[in-house]
Amino acid sequence: MKKLLVIVLLVSLACGTVFAGGASETAAAKESGAVKIALIIENTIDDKGWCQAMYDGIVAAQAQMPGKIEFSYSENMPPVDAGSIARQYVADGYDLIVAHGAQYKNLILEMAGEYPDVSFAFGTSAEVGPSNVFTYMPESEETGYLSGLIAGLTTKQNIVGLVGPVDGGDAARYNRGFVLGVKAVNPDAKIQVAHTGSFSDYVKAGEVATSQIKNGADVLTGSSQQAIGALRATAESPTAMWVGQDIAQFSTAEGQKKCIAASSYNYAAVIVGMVDKINSGVKGGECIPMNFNNDGFIFEFNPALPQYKTPEITAAVDKALADFKAAPGVLANWSSVDYSTL
Amino acid sequence: MDFVVNLLAMCVPFSVALLLASIGEMFNQRAGVFNLGCEGVMAMGAFIGMLVPFMIGKGGEVANYWNYLGILAAVMVGALLGLFFGLIVVTFRAPQGIAGIGLQMFGVGTAGTLFRHFVGGTQSVVGIPNSPVPLLSKIPVVGDIFFNHNLLVYFAFLFVPVAWYILFKTSWGLKVRAVGTYPRAADSMGINVNKTRYQALMLGGALAALSGAYLSLAQAKMFSQSLIAGRGFIAVALVYFGHWHPVQIMGGALLFSLAQTFQAAIQGLGINFPYEFAVMLPYVLVIVVLSFTSRNQTTSPSALGKPFNREIRT
Repeated sequence: MKKLLVIVLLVSLACGTVFAGGASETAAAKESGAVKIALIIENTIDDKGWCQAMYDGIVAAQAQMPGKIEFSYSENMPPVDAGSIARQYVADGYDLIVAHGAQYKNLILEMAGEYPDVSFAFGTSAEVGPSNVFTYMPESEETGYLSGLIAGLTTKQNIVGLVGPVDGGDAARYNRGFVLGVKAVNPDAKIQVAHTGSFSDYVKAGEVATSQIKNGADVLTGSSQQAIGALRATAESPTAMWVGQDIAQFSTAEGQKKCIAASSYNYAAVIVGMVDKINSGVKGGECIPMNFNNDGFIFEFNPALPQYKTPEITAAVDKALADFKAAPGVLANWSSVDYSTL
Repeated sequence: MDFVVNLLAMCVPFSVALLLASIGEMFNQRAGVFNLGCEGVMAMGAFIGMLVPFMIGKGGEVANYWNYLGILAAVMVGALLGLFFGLIVVTFRAPQGIAGIGLQMFGVGTAGTLFRHFVGGTQSVVGIPNSPVPLLSKIPVVGDIFFNHNLLVYFAFLFVPVAWYILFKTSWGLKVRAVGTYPRAADSMGINVNKTRYQALMLGGALAALSGAYLSLAQAKMFSQSLIAGRGFIAVALVYFGHWHPVQIMGGALLFSLAQTFQAAIQGLGINFPYEFAVMLPYVLVIVVLSFTSRNQTTSPSALGKPFNREIRT
């Protein structure tokens, strides 16, 4: 019995020492004025898509605000596992928990009620959350529109392909923007739209892209992290080309060869905005839109494929970009696109 | 006509991963072992398969034989995982369902962890090129459907009659069926039940890993942690679908793949039809066929899922 008591005492002492260390570390972070951000993602920080965009954004925000942001992340976190790690971050004194994906909505709303002093963020969502929850909504019909302009002006077969994940969130906006872009410059073009029903089934995305290429599509696009599977399938075709939803795709061998241009989400602006708000005492209760007008998007042509940057394409893209930068909501009709009429 | 030919020409290579994994699982189940860890073995096969050419070429182009060396390495790792699974369920007689789920998590987790360490993020490889069969690939319609694919596609379909021959015409196949149907009788006839089950598990593991390597090196030509995406479980379902018979399993793999290809193609036609139903089509098809054919279970291995212990009378 005495031995047991000694063991319990020693364990208690050890726990006390450990937790005291953690608390003092948190206190040090608070004293430095840095906002501690934790990122939870379902894929990896280098998936050349959705998760990498947010990771890159936070790293860029750190560079823009030296000493103002401390940052940790957890990869491969399905919603069912994310709760425990999110609670661990809260216990470690993090100020802002970013759960990057609409699939985390329920978890974040539940935790926001439990921890009213901590800020949370998730997206994509157009909803305005509780007073300690930020949401963000990429108005990606704008990036889709630019991709559509390029696809519509590049296709020789007059058939373009679109590999979507699910018809929701920013993917639905990107896809419909793409349709509007194609139709704006090439009303006769046939657009093949197909969804895989998943964000991360690379094989199925590749199968859908192959199917579209076999059925005549010669310019394709796709959104979410699985799009890299469709891009890889496109690279197998001697003629088909690709327009990307992430500039990171340029860094792949197939992107170098096939990706004419791409847009990226600039989450740095979103993160900087959230940090400023937290520092001024606002913990949430806002939906932050992302568009070209507020520098929420970046667009680039692939420097390795200058032959596809024709004067016609450049003029169309420049005009659209100027319109988007001048005011948000230019493509307010995006939701009216009906795939069954294509 | 082109639409149909394209569908069939795509469904043949797209069915290969399921076909190989299902045939492997069939050998497991014929020997009386139910391996739900197929998904994990496929993940390890996919990773090891792409790792060899990736490391040799440092992410760039490599001679094609390095791809086949990757496949060989994947097959060996798959056989070892089959051996490991045998240790757990045959020697230690652990419950096969739980052990299978453990193997699935072990395989997917290990492949993902090693991938992050040795490779990094989502990575493409040059992969195995198509090898059209001279003359035959030029035949209209038939050439595109059957003779314009990579070597693993030909191997997978040629392996179906080989698997049938092994299972039904060799003494080892007879042993496999015996230990999966009535292990006590097999034991009394001098057949080493455990050894036969180990051998079947190694063959099943090797084929599951080959299936994974096919995905990473010949179909998707890339690797990511979620590459397999549930195909291992579909392979297990296809064994029931095909009544533990290689030819019927091939039919199931082709039917599933055809439904998958068809749903992707009809979405592109712009028919006013919710895409969610299209995506569900292959899975619904499997459930419907299973529900109509499950009454005929005479071919199922009657000792499936039951550990063998010669000391205990069952």
